[in-house]
Amino acid sequence: MGLAKTHIQSGSSTEQTDGNIITTTIDKVVNWGRKNSLWPMPFGTACCAIEMMATLASKFDLSRFGSEAIRFSPRQSDLLIVSGRISIKMMPVLKRIYDQMPEPKWVISMGACASCGGVFDTYTLIQGVDQFLPVDVYIPGCPPRPEDLIDAVMQVQRQIQKGELPKGSEVAYHE
Amino acid sequence: MNEEKEVTEETPPLVLEKLQEKFADALLADAEIGNGVVVVVDREHSYALLEYLKTELAYSFLVDVTAVDNSNLESELMQYDYARFMVVYHLYTFEGETHRIRVKVPVHEKDLRVPSVTTLWRGANWLERETYDMFGIDFEGHPDLRRILMPDDFEGHPLRKDYPLRGRGERESFNFEKQNV
Repeated sequence: MGLAKTHIQSGSSTEQTDGNIITTTIDKVVNWGRKNSLWPMPFGTACCAIEMMATLASKFDLSRFGSEAIRFSPRQSDLLIVSGRISIKMMPVLKRIYDQMPEPKWVISMGACASCGGVFDTYTLIQGVDQFLPVDVYIPGCPPRPEDLIDAVMQVQRQIQKGELPKGSEVAYHE
Repeated sequence: MNEEKEVTEETPPLVLEKLQEKFADALLADAEIGNGVVVVVDREHSYALLEYLKTELAYSFLVDVTAVDNSNLESELMQYDYARFMVVYHLYTFEGETHRIRVKVPVHEKDLRVPSVTTLWRGANWLERETYDMFGIDFEGHPDLRRILMPDDFEGHPLRKDYPLRGRGERESFNFEKQNV
């Protein structure tokens, strides 16, 4: 993660500080903290939400990755997990929830329905939430296993550690 | 013992006899299915029949109100003078032998009206709103007949057979910024 042990050889305090000073950049420290304390906002509308609950529960235990602080208020969270079907009536609600989240914020589109409509190729269902949300990580599956969701969270963590901007802010900067 | 049982199975359910007696002119058809009864009644008498079932025959539980679009079924259409829709009420009783009864009301496309049963069952409120939303059937006397599942500005009634499965472009052109949420 870009840390380097530094040898400082000056003065009489060499013995105390030798090997005990770590140099890095503030961005890297901030990103390191950010990636290990993602607070997810669950938006479960279908069976993917059951798998999401399993992911959060003791057996799969998302808290091992620092993401156990599930917030049901978008104003306190920075990772939106869309797990389930989104209808045209639900779309403005979800859009508003996303808008209420403070920056920087990431979006995981969990499962086939959220990513592309899944088997529900019908009049009322949005064929992919990326039509109105900037999705960072897609998870295939119907529903995906808890390991897939953990993998997606880790993917988000890798993006954060690399210093990549979330899709949402990229869109905002380009505009 | 066995002989007695056979006899009871062959006799029509009591509820059907009572309905045939009281609504002789209004009943268009009736049948027994499983341990239940199906009756088809014309629109003018549907409220009276449902009220009779609820108050006199203890069918106090309204399970469901829905409708069927028969426009693709010529045989079904022919039966009731080309009535396109069939409003269906499912009732249940906790007493007696015949627990379930299904009441069907044929409705013509040009005159999509059915009396509301919200005065009998308050639970019919949302069921009738759903039927209105999906089929466009007007429930007369309903206190608040507006869409329940689809957005308020949605056009058309999606469970009708002539409504395309993938919609008429609503899911691509939906303007969520105009929605009041």
